This record gives sequence, structure tokens and C-alpha cells, in this order.
Amino acid sequence: MSVLGPTSPDGGAQERVEGFIAPEIPGKAYQLPLWRRKPLLIIGLVILGIYVLLAVAGPFFVDDPRVTDPANFYQGPSSDNWFGTDKFGRDVFARAVHAARLDVTIGIVIALSSMVIGSAIGVVSGYFGGWVDEVMMRLTDVVMAFPGFVLALVLVAAIGNSVPNVVIAVSVAYIPYFIRLTRAQVLAERELEYVDGAKLAGNSPLRVAFRHVLPNSMGPSFVQAALVAGWAILTVAGLAFLGVGIRPPTAEWGVMVAEGAPDIITGQWWTALFPGGMIVLAAMAFQFIGDDMGAETL
Amino acid sequence: MALLEVRGLRKSFGHGRNRVPAVRGVDLEIAPGETLGLVGESGCGKTTLGRVVVGLQAATEGEIIFDGETLDGKLGKPEYRRRVQMVFQHPSQSLNRRMRVATTLSEPLRLLHASAADQVAERVDVVLRLVGLGPDYLRRTPRQLSGGQQQRIAIARALMPEPDLVVLDEPTSSLDQSVRGRIIALLRSIQDERGVAYLFISHDLSTVRKIADRVAVMYLGRIVEEAPTEQVFEDPQHPYTKALLSAVPSMDLDNRGTRIILEGETPSPSALPQGCSFQDRCPLVHTRCRTEQPTLISLPDGRRVECFAVTSPSQAYEVNP
Amino acid sequence: MSLLEVDGLTVGLERSPHSLLREVGFTVEPGEVMGLVGESGSGKTMASLAIMGLLPSGIEQRGGTVRLEGRDLMDSGTGEIHRTANQMTMIFQDPRSALNPTMRIGRQIARVIETNQNASREKARAAALAALSHVGIPGAKRVFRAYPHQLSGGMCQRVMIAMALACKPRILIADEPTTALDVTIQAQIFDLINDLVQETGCGVLFITHDLGAIAEMCDRVTVLYGGQVMETGSLRGVFTQPLHPYTQFLFDAVEREVDPRVEEKGANFALAGCRFGHRCPYVFEACGQFPPLRTVIEGHRSACFLPEEGRIGAP
Repeated sequence: MSVLGPTSPDGGAQERVEGFIAPEIPGKAYQLPLWRRKPLLIIGLVILGIYVLLAVAGPFFVDDPRVTDPANFYQGPSSDNWFGTDKFGRDVFARAVHAARLDVTIGIVIALSSMVIGSAIGVVSGYFGGWVDEVMMRLTDVVMAFPGFVLALVLVAAIGNSVPNVVIAVSVAYIPYFIRLTRAQVLAERELEYVDGAKLAGNSPLRVAFRHVLPNSMGPSFVQAALVAGWAILTVAGLAFLGVGIRPPTAEWGVMVAEGAPDIITGQWWTALFPGGMIVLAAMAFQFIGDDMGAETL
Repeated sequence: MALLEVRGLRKSFGHGRNRVPAVRGVDLEIAPGETLGLVGESGCGKTTLGRVVVGLQAATEGEIIFDGETLDGKLGKPEYRRRVQMVFQHPSQSLNRRMRVATTLSEPLRLLHASAADQVAERVDVVLRLVGLGPDYLRRTPRQLSGGQQQRIAIARALMPEPDLVVLDEPTSSLDQSVRGRIIALLRSIQDERGVAYLFISHDLSTVRKIADRVAVMYLGRIVEEAPTEQVFEDPQHPYTKALLSAVPSMDLDNRGTRIILEGETPSPSALPQGCSFQDRCPLVHTRCRTEQPTLISLPDGRRVECFAVTSPSQAYEVNP
Repeated sequence: MSLLEVDGLTVGLERSPHSLLREVGFTVEPGEVMGLVGESGSGKTMASLAIMGLLPSGIEQRGGTVRLEGRDLMDSGTGEIHRTANQMTMIFQDPRSALNPTMRIGRQIARVIETNQNASREKARAAALAALSHVGIPGAKRVFRAYPHQLSGGMCQRVMIAMALACKPRILIADEPTTALDVTIQAQIFDLINDLVQETGCGVLFITHDLGAIAEMCDRVTVLYGGQVMETGSLRGVFTQPLHPYTQFLFDAVEREVDPRVEEKGANFALAGCRFGHRCPYVFEACGQFPPLRTVIEGHRSACFLPEEGRIGAP
């Protein structure tokens, strides 16, 4: 037969550049710089970078967040106390910086742990199917029937107020998202030929699932993890605001907002506004990163 | 003795009323170091047959006997895995895109032979050379390879455990014409050097002609003709083989317009007529074909054909209009 | 006067000095199948889109004329090609994606007839049914009520042909119409197109990369490379006595099953000179200029500066 396919060398990386029309087409190889294509991603990363810096280095430069100074209560923002002081005379900036360490860490830990557990369950569920899949799907249905916040609230109330318990409770609330996401991805991946290739290469079913299918199914989960990190910060702070989970006098943004909220009426707006702004900005940074990340960046 | 023997193989998908037969009773043999070409149009069951032979799917019925031993269940024993391998149709999909070439190639050895690290490295090097690539490819990921190079790596992976039989499922059909020729040449040279047998599955008759020793033509899940390659191409017997061969466009200007044009389309495998499945398109159809399923019968010259008109022409029959 | 006359068609990317098509010209006579053959990237699909006036955005027509029965299809004001379905229609490689998956086959064809021939709904329905039986679809009534996903690829291509012919076009452009089909179905489609050409007397521009398909289908051939016409002539002329080094090379490559590429000569003729220059074994100084099509033998034209003696029978 006389099929004249595209002619291109087998031996070189220039295969795509066939004929010689292709190299003349500008814009094919050319891409806008990252900050033009994904400005939100860059903004998010910059904000997150500042937070990480605050969380890592900040506590070494500011005062102890627990030290009270009754003589200096309710001072407005000044060069001494950038965010002012609260009713016990504690420096709001110092507390906000220490809280950054706690909150950002909690957000990332929750995102990572729910991603790891959720993906592992998702790959088993999607790759093996059968009754395991059936049971897992019904369980996620049950968990997802509750709003994440309410579920976390109930769980913390049940297992007790402490930082590890909050992490566990909020993680559980987000695990189903990762299960669903990974499972959907795995269902598409397992039809590809490399999965058969892996079986023939002697991989056990578990090894095929975890070593071959899972790494190729993780793209969307990383995006989801960035979003979940932001939501987790909001959830944790929200719980603390309601007096559940992390309790005073711990320096935590939600706790600070809860403590400072009554002050707004009496005119001391700074005690609640600054930590509140930090929450919003942190959640926004993660949201930006997640929204703009997309599979191609990975 | 045959390396691979397939006896009465059947494979269906689905259950009950949705049951669709893909392979409907296939017998074939492959000798050591031989290439059997399996040709047919889309949906004829050739890929399913290949996947059952290699153990990726379990047969519904029938036996697969490899080197005297019957393959039981899916995938078989590690011994079978070492000796029967497969190369897939889409090189871009058949390699794990997050694995480097070195890992992809060493995996079969580590898992199937439990070889030591230095042995593995040595063999990877040998096989990589065998498929015409150098050690600088080891650190690349599939994305950094062209289609032809990806297929070379896929072939190398299949060769790693030193198999005796490799099932090649349309290994060249998603490659460019020029690359196609080189992959075929590569496969031939590997066979000369290693004595490996191939089951070469393809819809492209010209490619099959270049590589196969014998050709089996499949139509709707059954082999309708099987013979040495030149016999099939020079003197086809089954009416379907004849039509298939004549439908391939040729550059010969003097034979324009001499094509046999089959009527209608391949019937759906889920609603097959009684008797021969080719009856509605066959120019030689007679009453017997509508009631009785013909079987593969050996002719005196050694070829096998599944057609009453060819195998029992002496029996008088009336040709239906 | 030819049915379709394409002359000096030049197409390029906006804001780029390079051309994707350079002075492409050929003719299609009534009742004739003209083959347009080339490797991928040779510009054959681009040429068909330009003739249809369907160039994608970002690609502009820089010059040239497209005449149908002597009338220029180019709008002198906008510089765009205007044609109607009863002048030209097109069928594509993947018929299924060219059909609307949510609409019954019959309705899709009837709508085309309604809009193009101002027919009433009933008339269009009848015409659509007639068109379906015309292209050899058994059980046309059943297909009429079917959705595209219920039909095979070959059947969808028949439907596309029925739809294209329902408009009674003067020219049918078939862009790799059988590449996605099995060979026995391909043979049926070829047969159908041949029958319809004889019956309606329309001209066909048949685009493919398969020289075998060209040999089966066409009366004349135009060989395209790098957006430039290399050679055009009768099927027998081009196949038995290829004049252009590229065409010779193409046949040679198919025969010997080798890569139709040779080592690059280093010189870059892409901008001004012959597009084949960097691969041509006979390249010389004159090749730095654009080679116009010259008539070598009656009805057989080639775009090469080499004297004929040097080309015929070589290498």
C-alpha cells in the first residue's frame, strides 16, 4: 500500500517539526511568560511566601504572645504596637504572627493528610472497583451530605478540644473530596495501555495501582489540595470563633477574632480586624493558587 | 512442536442479553521463532484474541497451551509472564509517563526474574542497543521521546524478560509511514537474532505481508483463512480474503476498477445470522451457508479455509440471488 | 473554461512574512476527480479551506483568485471568498464529528435542503429521504430516523455525502474522506463517489496522502509540497513519468519503503526559493528563486528550473 504518512525522522527530537512549514509558524513554540498567563498564581504564591516567612521567622522577632501588660490595654496601632494591643495589653501583631505559624501549618497539614488518605482510598476504590468501591462511595456520600464545617464541628465536639483533634476532624471532612477526585481520575487512567504493560511487567495489582496508576492520577488532587488548605484555615478559624477546637489563650486567628469581636462595638476595631484580615488573605492566597494552577503547571 | 496452541477459544463480553461475542471459536498454532500475522478489520476480535493469548483477559471457553502447559486463569504463572509479552498499539499511552526509561525497562527484570541490580543494568544496556537506542535515553521520560522512539522502548520492555513469544498489537499503525518501515525492520532483525516468535496483529495488509510467515484472516471473531503469507496474498481462497485484498488501493494504473466491492457492512456481533457470518456480503453464498456454520478445513496444500464454496465445491448448491 | 480554476492562491499567517501556501494553482473540470496529494504539512487541507472560504482566524489570504465557472468567488470589498452550498460542499475525514449528535439524520439533511433551496419542510423531508437512498444506504427510512451514534463510520460518511449532494454542488471537496474507515468500506465509498460524479457531472477535489487512493480515484493529480504546487498533470502522466524531483522522490520512497526525506543540503530556500530546495538532490543556484509552473508536456506542468533531460528518468 502506498500510505505516505507525515515524514519525519525517527531519530531526533525534531520530529514535531516536520515538512518545514511548522518552524515558520510563530506562536506555536512561543508562550507568554508565566506571570502573564497565570497572574493569580503568582500573586497567590507571593502572599503565601510572605505568610511562610512570617510563620518561620516571625516568632523570633516579636514578643511573647502570652505576655500581658495591663497598663497598656486597648492601645491603637502605633509604631510600638503595629496592630495595637488587646484588653490584656497583649501585642496583637505578636499574637497574629505566632498564629500564622499555627494556622498556616494546620491548613497545610490538613490539606496534605486528607489528600494522602483520600487518594489512597480513591485509587483502591477506582482501580479495584467491586464491593470495596461500592462501600467507599456510599460512605463518602454520607460524609459529603453534611457541610464540612458542621461535620468538623460535631467531630471536634465528640473527640475533644485540642489542636490534633481539630486537624483530624477537619481532615476527615475533606477526605471524601479527594476520594472522589482520585477515583474519577483512576477510572480514566486504568484504561490506558501502560496499565496493561505494567501488569505484563510483573507488577502485582497493588503495585500497578499505587506505583503506576496513582502517580498519573494525582494532578487534580494537587490543585484540590491547594484549595483545601485555604478552606481548612477558614474552617479551623471558624471553629475557634465558635469556641470549639482551639481555645484561648492560644494565639490563633479565629480565637483572636472571637475575643476581639465585642471590642468593635466599643471602638477598638483593631483587635479583631487585623487577625480577620490575615485569615481572609491566607485563604485567598490558597484559592488563587488552586484556581490558577491547573494540570499543565504540574 | 508448536510453541503456542490455541484450541476452541471463545471470549464474550457482557452478560445475558447484552452478551457480545468477540472471539467465536479460534484454533491456531505458532511455532518457535515464527511470525503469525493476524489480520482483519476493526471489530473482528483480533485485539481481543491477542489479549487473551497474553493473559490480560481470561478466555470464556477454550484452551491456551504454551510449550506443552495449559495457561490457567488470567495472567498465568510468573513463568508464563516471562515467556509471553506484548507490545501495544499506542506508544504514547503504553509507557508510564511519569517513569524514566531506565525504570520502565528494569521493572520486568526486577519483578519477573528478581535479578540483581548490576545484572539489570547490564541487560537494560544490551536490550536498549538491540532496539537501536543508546544509553543517553535512559534518563528520559516518554514525553521526551518521539513516537518511534517510544515504540522502540515499548518493544525493549517486552524483550527484557527474554520472552519466546511477543504479541504485537498494531505496533506500527499509529506511527508515520517512514518510522513504520524502520520498526518492521527492527522487529525482523530482533527475530533473526533472538529467535522470538511473533503474533503480529494488524489491519494493514501491506505491513503484515512484510513481516509474517503465515497469515490468519479474521472476520467477526473467527479465522476464515490461514495459510503461508505468499499464498494468502497471491492466491486467496476465502471470498472475504479476496475482497479484503482487492479493496486495498494500489498504485497499479492498469488494474483500475477491478476491485471486488462487498455489499453492506459487517453485521453487529450481537445480532449474528444463523450459519456463516459472512453470508450477507458474500458473492458465493448458497443455501447451506444460511443454516450451517462452516469450519476451518485443511486443503491439500496445507492452508485452512472456512468456506463451503471452497472446501466442498463438489456438493451441488444453488446460488441465491 | 474550467469548472474550478484556482490561480496564484497565497495564504499566510497574519503579521508573518512566511506563506503557508504559495501561488497554488490548478483546475478541476466537470465530471472529473482532481487529486491533491502531499505529505502532512504540505498545505493540502489549507488549500481546501482557502477555496471554501473557511480559513481559520489568524490566517489570511494574500492573493490569488478562485473562479467557479468563470466567476470570481472573491469579494472585491472584503477580500474574502463567498460561495454557497450549491456551488461547493465539503466532506471530511471524521464524518461523525461533522454531524450534530443530538439531531436525527433525516432532520439534519432536510435542514440543509431547506436553507439552501428554500424548500418547504415536507419537500425537504422527501428530498432528504431520496438523497439517503441515492447514496446506497439500505433501509434509508431507518437511517433517516437514526442519530449519528447509532451508525457506523462508513454509514456516517455516506450520510455526509448525501448531505453534500443534496445541495447539488458543482464542486465536491473530499478531504481524506476514507482515512478513518476500513478498507472494504473505503472501497465502497470510492465506488459511490465515482458513481455520483458520473451521474451528476460535478467536479471533485480529492485530498489524500495515499498515492494508492489517488491511483484508484483520480483523473488528474496535483502534487503539493511545502505549500507549493510541485507538479500537476494527468494521472497516467504523473505516475508513469514524474517530472519534478520531489514527485520522483515520492514514488521512489513508496516503492523502496524508505523515508521520503534526504539529508538537508544546508541552504535554506524556504523564504524565497523552491520549497524542496533543501532536500533536492539536484539543487543549484537558480533554485534560490521561486520556480513557476511550466508546461513541459501538453497538460503536464512542473515547477522546476532543471532542464527536462535532467529530470526524466533520473535518478
